[in-house]
Amino acid sequence: MDKLMRNKKAIILFIAPALILFTAVLFVPVCKAVYYSFCNYKLPGNAKFLGFEGMKFLKNYKQLLTKDQTMRIAFRNSMFFMIFSIVTQLIFGLFLAALLTNIRKGRNLFKNIYYLPCVLSSAALGLLWMFVFTPRLGINQMLASLGKWGGDCTLGPQWLFNTEGYIILPIWVVSFVALWQYVGQSMMLYMAQISGISSDVYEASYIDGCSKKQSFFYITLPLIKPMVATAMSLNAIGSLKFFDLIYNMLPEGFLSHKADVIATHLYTSAFKFRKLGYGSAIGVILLILCLIMTVIINKFVKTENYDM
Amino acid sequence: MTAAMTISKEKRQAKTVSTLIYIFLVLLAIIYIVPLLWVLITSLKDDSTLMLSPWAMPAALEWGNYEFAWTKGHLGTAMLNSLIVCSITLVVSMLFGSMAAFAIAKLRWKLSKLAMYYFLIGMMIPIHTILIPLFVQFSGWKMSNTLIGIIIPYITFSLPITIYIMVGFFEGIPNELFEAACIDGCSVYKMFGTVAIPLAKTGFMVTGLMSFVSNWNELLLAMVFISDEAKKTLPVSLTKFVGPYHTNYCQMFAAIMIAIIPTIIAYVAFANQIVEGLTAGAVKG
Repeated sequence: MDKLMRNKKAIILFIAPALILFTAVLFVPVCKAVYYSFCNYKLPGNAKFLGFEGMKFLKNYKQLLTKDQTMRIAFRNSMFFMIFSIVTQLIFGLFLAALLTNIRKGRNLFKNIYYLPCVLSSAALGLLWMFVFTPRLGINQMLASLGKWGGDCTLGPQWLFNTEGYIILPIWVVSFVALWQYVGQSMMLYMAQISGISSDVYEASYIDGCSKKQSFFYITLPLIKPMVATAMSLNAIGSLKFFDLIYNMLPEGFLSHKADVIATHLYTSAFKFRKLGYGSAIGVILLILCLIMTVIINKFVKTENYDM
Repeated sequence: MTAAMTISKEKRQAKTVSTLIYIFLVLLAIIYIVPLLWVLITSLKDDSTLMLSPWAMPAALEWGNYEFAWTKGHLGTAMLNSLIVCSITLVVSMLFGSMAAFAIAKLRWKLSKLAMYYFLIGMMIPIHTILIPLFVQFSGWKMSNTLIGIIIPYITFSLPITIYIMVGFFEGIPNELFEAACIDGCSVYKMFGTVAIPLAKTGFMVTGLMSFVSNWNELLLAMVFISDEAKKTLPVSLTKFVGPYHTNYCQMFAAIMIAIIPTIIAYVAFANQIVEGLTAGAVKG
């Protein structure tokens, strides 16, 4: 048996396809992206390394971090997205999970309804919400036909076109749509963890005179902490990578880059303006942000494993 | 007397609370379902009635919207392309992934832990970072406008999560089963095919669902790699329905319906398995 499982040929045969593919299509490109980010690389043309003297190879990053106005906005919007989604998904996800585990009838039905948008294409849902928030149609038209703004829907808020404020209105709208779409995911994660808590613990607490509220704060919350870390890092990475909804809800150009996030900025720099080196630098920064967030969340939400 | 009264009072309170919870849940469910119903209704109207009266039900069913989206909007081809891409990705990533997972979980070699970490790092890498190098590479190989050009990255991005989940399932299979197979004269390959794979069916279901759903909805990579109208996948073709100057909303809604109906049907049919499977995957991820 042992000899059979140490069969070198078999091991190589089993691991090789995945390993080769993974290295060639994921690992090598990441290294290449780092290299390109040190290059002057515009299409048409080839990648030219910027040179070591005078830290010249950091030119893309310098430009990106100090001079690029769009990057500043994109960074701000992405950070807003991330914090918004971490906080709201934590609160609403936990809240829904707590409600759903406490009802007897229809738990599966509600759960499945709230989870549905998670499996649908965010490209399609983005178009749907784009329509809902179009100034002359959708929500504004409906409210106007009910007599708001004297029946004139153009007086309603310009949901997707208002560019005033530090975080502009379209970003808020997209954030809420993203919450609507993905809160089911957080809810499911928390529910899975809550259902793993033994009912003995709750019974013991009731005998000790705990109210339902108390048992939620003193039993449920501490016991699902590991899942909080998991869900938070999923949210953080997911919202940093956020692209589909923004791209489909906010038509390019109308907002003059005020609603850009890191992913859309990368897309326009690299594939609209053909600045591949510059785009690679954005990609590398995005990667670093993802890694940092994962580390931070797992450090701060300390997971203590209780026996359950 | 008083004790009975407090109990009934408590009961009444509990009842109000649970009624309030149900009211809240139903209202929330409406927020989830109404937009989708709205898409359905609007997709059957024509554009001029939409502008005039948002509330009206469609007077005559405009199936023309769907016909337009399916043929002129290239959604028919796009659907076929998506199906091809996702099916091939599904099969290959599950095969390669489960092979690697088997090697990591059951075969004995020194570097197996390291290999696992190597794959796990892949889960944290955003697709955006490798988009540019891959694009350059695949253009060089004349693969940038082909379906295989997006299938390969899709397979690669499905691998880490597949491997992670399958390792969990393979580790759960008791070693005695493999020993028994060994005594019966099984080779390693036969063990994998006849013992490991059949016993990890749930794992295949979970990973298959995850990779299919995420690849079916993937937009960015497909949009960058494919410019040929005949090779676009579903999410990419959808974005073409919004023009900067004129958008026919009813046709766009028909297109949205075409894009989401297959997913909704599959979801309604297997909702519990899908929800449970995807969560199991995410928990482990």
